[in-house]
Amino acid sequence: MSGPNVATLAWRNLWRNRRRTLLTLGSIVFGVFLAVVFTAMQDKNWKDMIDLAARLGGGHVSLQHPEYLDKPTLTRTVVRGEALEAALESEARRIQHAVDRVIGPTMLATAGETFSAAFIAFDPEAEDETTLSILEAIDEGSALEPGDRNGVILGHRLASNLGMELGDKVVYTLTDKHGEIVSGLARLRGTLRTNAPTVDGGFCLLPIDTVRDLLGYGEDEATLVAVFVEDQRRSAGVAGRLGRELGGTAAAVPWNTSQPQLAAFIALKVGGAVIMEILIAILVAAGIFNTMFVSVMERLREFGIMLAIGWSPGRLFRMIMMESAWLAVLGLAGAFLITLGPYLYLSSTGLDMTAIYGGTVEVAGVGLDPVLKVGIFPRNAVLIALFAVLATIASGIYPAWRAGRVQPVETIKVV
Amino acid sequence: MGAEPIISLRDVTKVYRQGSVDVHALRGLTMDVEAGEFTAICGPSGSGKTTMLNLIGALDAMTSGSIVLEGRELASLNKKELSELRRDRIGFVFQAYNLMPVLTAYENAEMVLWVQGVDGPSRRERVMGLLEQVGLKGMENRRPSELSGGQQQRVAIARAIASNPVVVLADEPTANVDSETAETLLDLMEELNREQGVTFVFSTHDPQVMERARRVVRLVDGRVASDERR
Repeated sequence: MSGPNVATLAWRNLWRNRRRTLLTLGSIVFGVFLAVVFTAMQDKNWKDMIDLAARLGGGHVSLQHPEYLDKPTLTRTVVRGEALEAALESEARRIQHAVDRVIGPTMLATAGETFSAAFIAFDPEAEDETTLSILEAIDEGSALEPGDRNGVILGHRLASNLGMELGDKVVYTLTDKHGEIVSGLARLRGTLRTNAPTVDGGFCLLPIDTVRDLLGYGEDEATLVAVFVEDQRRSAGVAGRLGRELGGTAAAVPWNTSQPQLAAFIALKVGGAVIMEILIAILVAAGIFNTMFVSVMERLREFGIMLAIGWSPGRLFRMIMMESAWLAVLGLAGAFLITLGPYLYLSSTGLDMTAIYGGTVEVAGVGLDPVLKVGIFPRNAVLIALFAVLATIASGIYPAWRAGRVQPVETIKVV
Repeated sequence: MGAEPIISLRDVTKVYRQGSVDVHALRGLTMDVEAGEFTAICGPSGSGKTTMLNLIGALDAMTSGSIVLEGRELASLNKKELSELRRDRIGFVFQAYNLMPVLTAYENAEMVLWVQGVDGPSRRERVMGLLEQVGLKGMENRRPSELSGGQQQRVAIARAIASNPVVVLADEPTANVDSETAETLLDLMEELNREQGVTFVFSTHDPQVMERARRVVRLVDGRVASDERR
């Protein structure tokens, strides 16, 4: 037989009104579940979108000519010399890859057709799908092989519009570093199928060495160096430090600056979701507060007795706060159990939203995966858990304070 | 008796404000309670019995006058000191038992000792002895809802005397039980008073209780109308 203590007493008090406690726990569990799923969807989707956007062109951070952002022409270049390498080295811990790219517009012509397109010239030896996601979309033919100086990959619709088959020749025309029109000849090695109209109908990949020669670039020259960081959330920090290292010789532009439309879209969505989560949190906290307050008001007489027999207001306060803490612990444990299954399913299998989207949706040139998956950043999971615990405990503060303010003589009401 | 009083009330007044009306619950009440007394406070409703017990028990503050308990003037004590005084020196028995519904009989009786910081083995020894003394041996693990009214009041008495208080203040302790149970409760209180020297001051309307008291103080309109020792 062990004596009562504040924790035991609080635990038993919690179960005096089982239904009310279960309803309160339900609201905590539901609130945490919603917060985790919402946040995990956002974290996963935005991370994937940002990573995909980075792998489509400029990386998480672009090292480029200081004026390239305002006027992206092939005449504004950076040289991957000692200064740039030193800057990259200074952030080596956070950088996964840094690859040279020449990006710009081109005109493609065959015997019968002419179409404009955007191009990315890359080094097939240095890059694969890890840094250039578009390579995942090759559906016919093959990627450019290392050393292939005359190959080209076209969006499948562009190839079709040009009337090309694999192995056919195409002339591409560029404006070189000095403003002169230059042309190159390439053979179609493969086609891309992304279901994104801008890519399938107006995009091509070229080998960087050939393009460099054509444009009159040096062997370390490019329109940008695409830097990939290990966590896209650190892009701005890495860009800031690289920018300082580079001084005025080159600009370090994070993805959200180089792709403002995408950044604005994500910011809008994240902002909306945060407001939604705050509303859910307020509703849940209000529910917990209501439970705690009603529970305290129902027991004023009892608190009066406890104070009469020697309990201090502080001990009463601790007991009510302990009731809140129990609610928080149980709510969090329940939320973990309830959320785990759906979370694992959504993170591994996901929900196929094709029927709703009607195919691939493109935002600022970046395609959204129609299969909705989740993947929460650990920091956000901890924040949600912490917030749930703090909100639950905070909901008990006023009721606990109120309990300690009880006047025994008024609540006992003897005779 | 002639001994030094453990409780001394001098010209105690208590005025409640009800709306715009002042209600004079006590009007210059003066009396002493000596150690070991078994005192009944009686009088009609509104005569000030409960107010007097509340003031002695440091549950309420008087308007004027002086209440001294074991040499300490209650008006000079702060909230914390009053709380400790109630915990250590005063036992309460209420008309409606007022046990903690989530605690067992044992735990209810033990609570004051726990609040006092008494160690576990000492608490256990004391409480088991008390429950046996009040006739509840074997019912330690029952919760109040599993006990009769009389049994609950016995737990309340055990709780009241657990800390060896200087006085037990009981407000209509037999009002909620039948006469047979009331008789056994009075037997128990008398026994504790006689054998352990526990001082009881209780308010009552019940002639059966008044008959058993060795001192009967009758209040009328907040003053002592008579004070009879037997």
